[in-house]
Amino acid sequence: METLNDTLQAGLAAMTDAPLRAKLLRMLEAQGEFEVQLAACGSIDECQRLKGRFLGRTESLAAEAMTAMKAIPAEHKRSLGGEINRIKAAWEEALRARQISLETRQKSQASSSTAWDPDLPPPTPARGSLNPLVRLMDRLVEVFRPLGFHVEEGPEVETEEHNFDGLNIPEDHPARGSTDTFHFSKHPGLVLRTHTSPVQVRTLKRVAPHLEALGGIRFLAPGRVYRKDEIDPTHSPMFHQVEGLLVGHGIGMHHLKGTLGHAMKGLFGPGAEVRFRPSYFPFVEPGCEMDVRCPLCGGGGCRVCKGSGWVEILGAGLVHPNVLRHAGIDPDVWSGFAFGMGIERIAMMVSQTPDLRLFFENDQRFLRAMGGVD
Amino acid sequence: MRIERAALHAELPVLSDMETPALCELLAGLGFPVDAVEGFEGTTVLEVDVTPNRGDAMSHRGLARDLSAKLLADLSPVPFLPVTELHEGLRPIILESEACPCYASAILELGSRQETPTEVQAFLRAMGSSPKNLAAVDASNELLHRYGHPTHAFDEERLQGAIRVRKARKGESFLGLDGVTRTLSGDDLVIADDSGAIALAGVIGGEATKVTEGTRRVLLESAWFDPKGVRLAARRHGIFTDASHRFGRGADPAMARIARDLLLRRLEAWAGARVLGAWCVGKMPAEAPPIAFPKDLLQRIAGEPLRVAVASEWLQHLGCRVQGEPGVLHVTPPSWRHDLTSPEDLAEEVLRIRGYDKIPSALPPLEGSPLPLADGYRRARSLGLRMAHLGFHQTVTFGFVSPEEDAASSESPAEGRTLGNPLGIEFSVMRASLLGSLRKAAESNLKHGARQVRLFEIAPVYRTAPSGPLEIPSLGVVWGGQLGGEDPYTPTRPVGAADLRGIALDLGLRPEHCIFRVLGEDLFGLECPLDALPWGGAQVIPSYRPFSRFPAVHRDLSLLVAVDHPYRGLADAMAARVQELGAPLQDLRCVDVFRPKGPPPGKVAWLFRFSFQHPGETLTHGDVDRWMNAALDTARAQGAELRG
Repeated sequence: METLNDTLQAGLAAMTDAPLRAKLLRMLEAQGEFEVQLAACGSIDECQRLKGRFLGRTESLAAEAMTAMKAIPAEHKRSLGGEINRIKAAWEEALRARQISLETRQKSQASSSTAWDPDLPPPTPARGSLNPLVRLMDRLVEVFRPLGFHVEEGPEVETEEHNFDGLNIPEDHPARGSTDTFHFSKHPGLVLRTHTSPVQVRTLKRVAPHLEALGGIRFLAPGRVYRKDEIDPTHSPMFHQVEGLLVGHGIGMHHLKGTLGHAMKGLFGPGAEVRFRPSYFPFVEPGCEMDVRCPLCGGGGCRVCKGSGWVEILGAGLVHPNVLRHAGIDPDVWSGFAFGMGIERIAMMVSQTPDLRLFFENDQRFLRAMGGVD
Repeated sequence: MRIERAALHAELPVLSDMETPALCELLAGLGFPVDAVEGFEGTTVLEVDVTPNRGDAMSHRGLARDLSAKLLADLSPVPFLPVTELHEGLRPIILESEACPCYASAILELGSRQETPTEVQAFLRAMGSSPKNLAAVDASNELLHRYGHPTHAFDEERLQGAIRVRKARKGESFLGLDGVTRTLSGDDLVIADDSGAIALAGVIGGEATKVTEGTRRVLLESAWFDPKGVRLAARRHGIFTDASHRFGRGADPAMARIARDLLLRRLEAWAGARVLGAWCVGKMPAEAPPIAFPKDLLQRIAGEPLRVAVASEWLQHLGCRVQGEPGVLHVTPPSWRHDLTSPEDLAEEVLRIRGYDKIPSALPPLEGSPLPLADGYRRARSLGLRMAHLGFHQTVTFGFVSPEEDAASSESPAEGRTLGNPLGIEFSVMRASLLGSLRKAAESNLKHGARQVRLFEIAPVYRTAPSGPLEIPSLGVVWGGQLGGEDPYTPTRPVGAADLRGIALDLGLRPEHCIFRVLGEDLFGLECPLDALPWGGAQVIPSYRPFSRFPAVHRDLSLLVAVDHPYRGLADAMAARVQELGAPLQDLRCVDVFRPKGPPPGKVAWLFRFSFQHPGETLTHGDVDRWMNAALDTARAQGAELRG
């Protein structure tokens, strides 16, 4: 009753019939209740039932209030009656609006359920992708895993010792100069690694004391490397390599050939054909490069293989005795092979991507098309 | 290196019958892949790749030597008529450094006419060098490409006093044939006369004493210089010449005198030259001792019981002298093979000439247990997959950024992370955050019409540390643009900061371990170190934790709070209160926020949903009501009101 204004309160106070006064008050105070119940109506039927309870001809709040009208003293009839009518009108209006909105919703539901076409594009979950270069490196890990290779990782900021000295690269080697290798202005002994080979040096040094217990070691080292190359369709100052190393007893070139031949079948399919050519890298002896039969033309000669039918895939060789010695491993007891491959080069070749820069532009259209989630 | 077929045939006649593709295959099999074949003025020129250890192969003769060993065919003899040594009353040559142990020379008076034969001019053009029609210069060039030994001719009349091969004086200046004046270092080896340096030994001749059309007398130089000294000098001064490439990789000292004689004979023939004297100073560098080449090592590397006698034959074809004893060969490499210093080198030579295709193939036996994949690798891999499944594309961006970009995304000082020789200022600082690079990639995608951009990268960021940049493997994520609107069912809305917070929550990241950044309009970034992500490690399935099979009760509580009321404080306080009363609260979260129309102003309504579930019994309404009332009291104590 305290929410009502003075005029209405005075009118109610002037009523002598208490039960009738209660009926009137009930209606005057029911506005909040009406709003809550109206909001809860989920259908037109519910709206009709609500209308019956509040505005129906008999036994509704409004009907009861009307019966109380006669008990209002004449001087208060106008104000209380006016208020009752205002409430009734407001409720009716609110009910009408609610019904219209429910009807519209019902119709649209009906139309969409009857006219539903299964060919309409359904909502689909967002589809992402692993980077193609990452996928290729992961695939290599999978291919070598059954041969007992695990994964070793090393930092990109390397010491000259790990990047060069430990790999039998002499101090005056041109690759060590500032035209080829990134150096740090405040840290003269540090470089951005120019290959993943320093992981060999780190790992061999670490496992050297336990090599006998481990029964040798074999691992892959995938990662990012840096060389001071200008950006063009076939060069990038940052690219990816996967390094592989195996050290054991009595390891020879036949083991290198067997392992890499097996791996290439895993990578390019059972028909993959490889050939080995002599080459030179300071950290291996003998050294070689491996070509695969051009996956594009099958050996007939094309743009990718420059007509030769073969494309170079990796450099490899038997670990140079100086590399083993540097790591504290006796080359008279242990021997091994190592290989390193450029991931972008292989990725470009297998996908026939015409420009290396596409791999670093990170255009979602490229990533979506070239990547995947496996 | 350019190789003209006809000139190669002249060294090894058996090649004349060979087709070019077969020759290319043969060269590749010997370790000299052919990068290109081109027709040039009626001849065929091969672009052959020679590895840096094979200075001896950087000529037609050099390649022919390897081919002859492979084909068991004879090389043509070097066509030269030996010159009688004569040195009387001529300019003295004094060797003052061990870096030049032998120096063959001659002085000739040139005739009135000099003409380089047309076939030699054509050969020089095929080699990519232009004939000068100065007999001394053209002949020297021709000999270099044909036999691999660099020679030089000085204008003898411009020389002053004795010739000395000595270390440069620190600060001595020298004007090279390339027209550049250089200040020499005390480590440089020079050819000098009384006036000072007249050539940088093995690298480049001097302008002051060069041969010109007016030259009447020449002094020839055919020497041998220490390879390392030449390499360092070439690098120090940035001069890379045909001569420095060959001397730097090791020339054949035995060729010094022969090349002098060849040059001299050409000058006689092409320029009517008269020999005034020819002589050699110093002596050949000492031959390296024989290399012991054990049978076991050969067979281990070859992967088969290759016979020592076979190896010996192949090595002899390559010019090695071989002496045998049971189980080991003693091998003296020829004077031109400076690269053969170890038994492994010799094994390679045997296998190379025999053909790598003859090497058998086998898988190495497993000697120990394979090791597990490194945690760091597995972690990055599973995170990458997770992000891809969440709809993000994995990027690869450069590890270096511009100083401005670095400063914008990090407070770590760039000084210790700065490259001394960057490719450009935009690639000069090892980045402290992935978000700058990701923002650029995202903006580029949006600029190219992407409605929505979702990218992530897993890469190290770098922190400045006293010992050098410290690498922290990290995850960076950007998300921006418009969500939805691509089918009839999903409404369109801009990507919001909360979307990325949802990703962080989904990854199990604690907010204090990650950085959230607004990177632009509707573009948001998230970054965290990989070790902030929860990682189960070796345990595939976590330990069992019992869960309740009794019904859960959900209750909503709509509270009016001031618009700036901290959510976390209110939610945590209510949760703590009900738990204090023993409520088995499973979850409490705000499920809706709205501003009611009209008064009260400055208020906002939060709809909290409480979820209770007891592990061992069904909850009663009485208990739940009690907890809800307690939660409401707690909220009221913070100034919240129940929304009517």
